[in-house]
Amino acid sequence: MKVDLTTNLGGLKLKNPVLTASGTFGFGEEYARFYDLSLLGGVTVKGITLQPRIGNPVPRIAETPSGMLNAVGLENPGLEAFLSTCLPRLERLNTAVIVNISGFSLEEYAQLAAALPEDSCIAAIEVNISCPNIKDGGMAFGTDPRSAGKVLAVTRKQTRLPLIAKLSPNVTDIGAIAKAVADNGADIISLINTLLGMRIDIKTGRPVLANTMGGLSGPAVLPVAVRMVYQVYKAVRLPIIGMGGISCWQDAVEFMLAGAAAVSVGTANFVNPLAPLEIIHGLEAYCREKGYHSVQELVGLAHCKEELTNDGKR
Amino acid sequence: MLSQEKIISHRLLGLQHGIHQLVLRGAIAATAQPGQFVHLKVGATTEPLLRRPISIARIDRARGEITLFYRVAGRGTALLAGAKEGETLSVLGPVGKGFALPGEGELLLVAGGIGIFPLFSLLEAVDRSRVKVKVLWGAESREFFEGAGLAVLRELDVAYEVATLDGSLGQKGLVTDLLASNLRREGGGQGMLPSVMPGFGRGDSVLRVAACGPRGMLKAVTELCLRQAVPVEVCLEERMACGVGACLGCVCTVTTAAGPARRRVCTDGPVFDGREVVWDEG
Ligand SMILES: Cc1cc2nc3c(=O)[nH]c(=O)nc-3n(C[C@H](O)[C@H](O)[C@H](O)COP(=O)(O)OP(=O)(O)OC[C@H]3O[C@@H](n4cnc5c(N)ncnc54)[C@H](O)[C@@H]3O)c2cc1C
Ligand SMILES: Cc1cc2nc3c(=O)[nH]c(=O)nc-3n(C[C@H](O)[C@H](O)[C@H](O)COP(=O)(O)O)c2cc1C
Ligand code: FES
Repeated sequence: MKVDLTTNLGGLKLKNPVLTASGTFGFGEEYARFYDLSLLGGVTVKGITLQPRIGNPVPRIAETPSGMLNAVGLENPGLEAFLSTCLPRLERLNTAVIVNISGFSLEEYAQLAAALPEDSCIAAIEVNISCPNIKDGGMAFGTDPRSAGKVLAVTRKQTRLPLIAKLSPNVTDIGAIAKAVADNGADIISLINTLLGMRIDIKTGRPVLANTMGGLSGPAVLPVAVRMVYQVYKAVRLPIIGMGGISCWQDAVEFMLAGAAAVSVGTANFVNPLAPLEIIHGLEAYCREKGYHSVQELVGLAHCKEELTNDGKR
Repeated sequence: MLSQEKIISHRLLGLQHGIHQLVLRGAIAATAQPGQFVHLKVGATTEPLLRRPISIARIDRARGEITLFYRVAGRGTALLAGAKEGETLSVLGPVGKGFALPGEGELLLVAGGIGIFPLFSLLEAVDRSRVKVKVLWGAESREFFEGAGLAVLRELDVAYEVATLDGSLGQKGLVTDLLASNLRREGGGQGMLPSVMPGFGRGDSVLRVAACGPRGMLKAVTELCLRQAVPVEVCLEERMACGVGACLGCVCTVTTAAGPARRRVCTDGPVFDGREVVWDEG
């Protein structure tokens, strides 16, 4: 039996549901040495900003129980260099490219979205709303439903490319944020970004990271991410890209059962560069064994039927 | 790039400093260059999660073997120490840009503590019939050297000088003291290219320095070399996640014509031109 792996996320068509997560996959080339990236559903590149950023000082990395903290500080070459240098190279990778954008104001998000060509290898724009909103006093756009909605609204006006809203887990009501971005033009929701964390070196008594705090990722965050995917699936109808600690096909199945139509592999690449490929193969084998014709039949199965009819959502 | 390497031998060199010698057979040896490193998976579980970077100390292409020396520094290396001969390890590599290989002239290898390990591979790779090589090595005390591969230096029959903090072996003091006196020895004045040892070549032959060790030492080595216009390469260390240039976790800062810029220690380095490294970062 042949399993159909194709995945259609509100206009973003992928050959399979396995992507790579922003910031963990450079601009693609680093892992092209290990395998043909066209085998992936697609790659999400490092978050870009309008101006080049030199990022935080080191140490930027701290290990944690089954996870890691990073405080890279959005180091990236900036929009202009991305368009002139990175994009032509991405074209050659022959895979769907998702460009992750971060702004420090609404105008910056709009400018970034407007500048990304609609007729290139760019298959979608992922709007990272975990960035600090400088104008409103430094709170992240993504922790308040109203400002999250505004970011999506201004970006929506600038592009016809599918828009993915990437949600921060550092919120009390993820469903409210999901609704806000859904009402303001997001086509897809991706989650989770990293959880804010910290480590202290007991020898020196100082924080390990130069930036004091950083984002937690890896297997340690998996149950938090699965829970949030589950909640967002209940809250909105948009397709979901699930991520957070996925390192094997079993994890990917779990996210799909929770409601993710596709998954992204992040930190696992660092440990096992072949993880995304192994996950694709594992998903296919699982579906074949279970008798599913399409991998999409898995999506949301963990939500029991009664719940769904009472809820009236799906 | 990703290789299952078989453990050919694995032994503790000296109890006090916990330094192990690990010989691996597999695909890495075929392309490994001096100064490159491997990114090792030390255990089968997510604890610890990340791979560990270890320099390639010796390369034996004929046998398809690389030798690593590592010090047990924490959980990851302690776990690695339990790996048995005959087992296989998942090894990513060889990673990084290594040392330049001089074809003539004189080469001073300057090591602080376990910084000697990546220099072993350079020492073995240079053609010593054409390049005069000398090793300057500093550490805490006498015991350290025996447990850290001093035998390799003896086996390779290379000129070396050591310095210890407590004076228990060689000169009492720092390896940078050794470097300073070596640079001075043949009156290498300001801007002139000095020759190193008595009988160490033809006065006008080019001297280079390659160094590895703690950051403070590398900074001092670079300053000494710059004062005498001696080209210096330094091998840097930084905490790493991916080891392939994808995560930007391991950067250092360099000066460029366009101002300060970040470079990835894992793939743009770990070996850098000492002149371009920004040593004091805010
Ligand atoms: C390019 C490179 C080459 C190296 N070559 C050698 C070698 O040949 N022999 C050797 O003994 N050691 C070498 N090191 C240092 C070695 O990688 C660390 O000692 C080791 O990662 C410590 O891991 P741990 O789990 O035992 O210690 P822990 O303290 O438990 O490590 C915790 C975290 O800190 C990181 N870390 C701790 N110390 C260092 C360090 N000095 N540099 C980078 N990351 C560190 C670990 O990778 C881990 O993520 C090298 C480091 C780099 C970057
Ligand atoms: C080193 C590193 C850098 C990251 N950079 C970005 C980024 O630039 N933009 C973004 O939206 N997410 C970024 N992330 C978050 C990941 O895309 C992902 O959401 C998160 O790591 C959870 O997935 P994981 O546990 O599989 O890594 C980064 C994560 C890591 C580990
Ligand atoms: S360790 Fe990831 S870029 Fe160097």
